[in-house]
Amino acid sequence: MNCSPFDLKDFLLQELTDPQRRQVETHVQACPSCQVELDRLRLTQTALSSLPDEEIPQRIGFVSDRIFEPSPWRRWWTTFWGSAARLGFASAAMLSVALVVFSMNRPASALRPVQAAKTVSDAEIGQRIETAVQRAVAAIEVRYAQRTEQLVKDIERRDQAERVNIQKAADLDIDYLRHSLQAAERKSYVAAYREGDAK
Amino acid sequence: MIFRAVEDADLIQRAAKGNVEAYNLLVSRWEKRVYNYLLRITGNREDALDLAQDVFLKAYQNLRKLAEPGRFAPWLYRIAHNEAYSMFRKRRPETDVDDMEPRSTEGGITVGGSSVFPIELSLSVASALGRLSDEQREAVVLKIYQGFKFEEMAEILECPVSTVKSRLYTALDLLKEELAPLEARGV
Repeated sequence: MNCSPFDLKDFLLQELTDPQRRQVETHVQACPSCQVELDRLRLTQTALSSLPDEEIPQRIGFVSDRIFEPSPWRRWWTTFWGSAARLGFASAAMLSVALVVFSMNRPASALRPVQAAKTVSDAEIGQRIETAVQRAVAAIEVRYAQRTEQLVKDIERRDQAERVNIQKAADLDIDYLRHSLQAAERKSYVAAYREGDAK
Repeated sequence: MIFRAVEDADLIQRAAKGNVEAYNLLVSRWEKRVYNYLLRITGNREDALDLAQDVFLKAYQNLRKLAEPGRFAPWLYRIAHNEAYSMFRKRRPETDVDDMEPRSTEGGITVGGSSVFPIELSLSVASALGRLSDEQREAVVLKIYQGFKFEEMAEILECPVSTVKSRLYTALDLLKEELAPLEARGV
C-alpha cells in the first residue's frame, strides 16, 4: 500500500493527466516507500518488456478473390475455364454432340451400303481410289489454273494503271513547262518594251 | 503514428468497397501484432496462427459493419479475443471460461513441451504470465504489449473500465511478486 495522491500504476502506465503526474512526481521524491514501490513496478514493466514479439512463422494467407467468390460452383468454373483442361473438355463435348446428332439423323438405309461394300473386290477398291485421286488432282489443277489466270489479269490491270498514271504525270510536266515558257516570254517582252520606251 | 492511422483508415475504406489489395496491405501491417497477442493469450504458436487466419478472414467479411475506421484496432482485437475464447470454450466445454481458476503452468507459455522464449529472463516472465488467470494475462498483454488505452481494452473485452483496471492491477501486483527474485538479482 502506498500513500501517493494517485495510483502509482496509473502513473507508470501513463494514464494520468499532466497535473496529476506532477503531483505524483513531487510526492515520490519526498516519500521513500512510494519511491521503492514505483521502482519495483518499473522493474516489473521492464522485465515484461523483455519478452520480444515473435516473427510470424508463416504469413497470413492473403485474401484473394478466389476465396471470396460467392459460390463454390462459380469458383470451380472460373478455375476450370482458366485451365488448359477446358480445350480438351470443349473438344470432347463437341465430339459427343456431333456423334449424337449424327446417329439420330442418319437414315436406317445408310447401313446397307456399308454391308454391301464388304463384297467389293480389292481391285475395284483400288480403281475407285485411283479415280478419286485423279479427280482430286484434276480439281486441284483446275483451281491452280484459275488462280494463275487471275494473277496474270491482276498484273496486267496494275500495269495498265501504272501506264495511265505515268502518262498523267508526263502531261502535267509538259503543261508546267509550257506555262513556264509562256511566262518567260511575257517577261522578256515586257522588258524589251520598257527598254524601247526609255530610248 | 497519425499519418499511419490515416493510411489505415484509407485502406479500410477501400477494402470495405471490395478492394482486396487494400485489405492485403492492411493484413500485412497488423498480422504480427495480432499473432503475438494471440500467442500470448493462447501460449501456442499453431493455435495463434490458425486463430490469426480466422481473425483476418472474419474481419474482411465484416469490414462493412465497422462504422468508424479509426476504431479498427480495438474492433480487430475484439474479433481476435472472441475467436480465442471460442476456441477455449470448445476445448474446455465443461468449464465456464469466465470463472476459470488461474492456471498454474510451471513451464509458462509452451509449445509441445518446449518453451517459446528460451532465454532465462524471458522464461521467468513467461512463467509468471502463465500463472495469471486468462483474464489477467489478457489485460497485461493488451496494455503492456499492445499499448491499448483502458477504454479500448474495455471495448475489446466488453467489460467496464473498472473491471479492466482491476484485472490489470491485480496482475501487476502478482507479477511484481513473481519477478521479485529477478529484480533482487539486478536483472
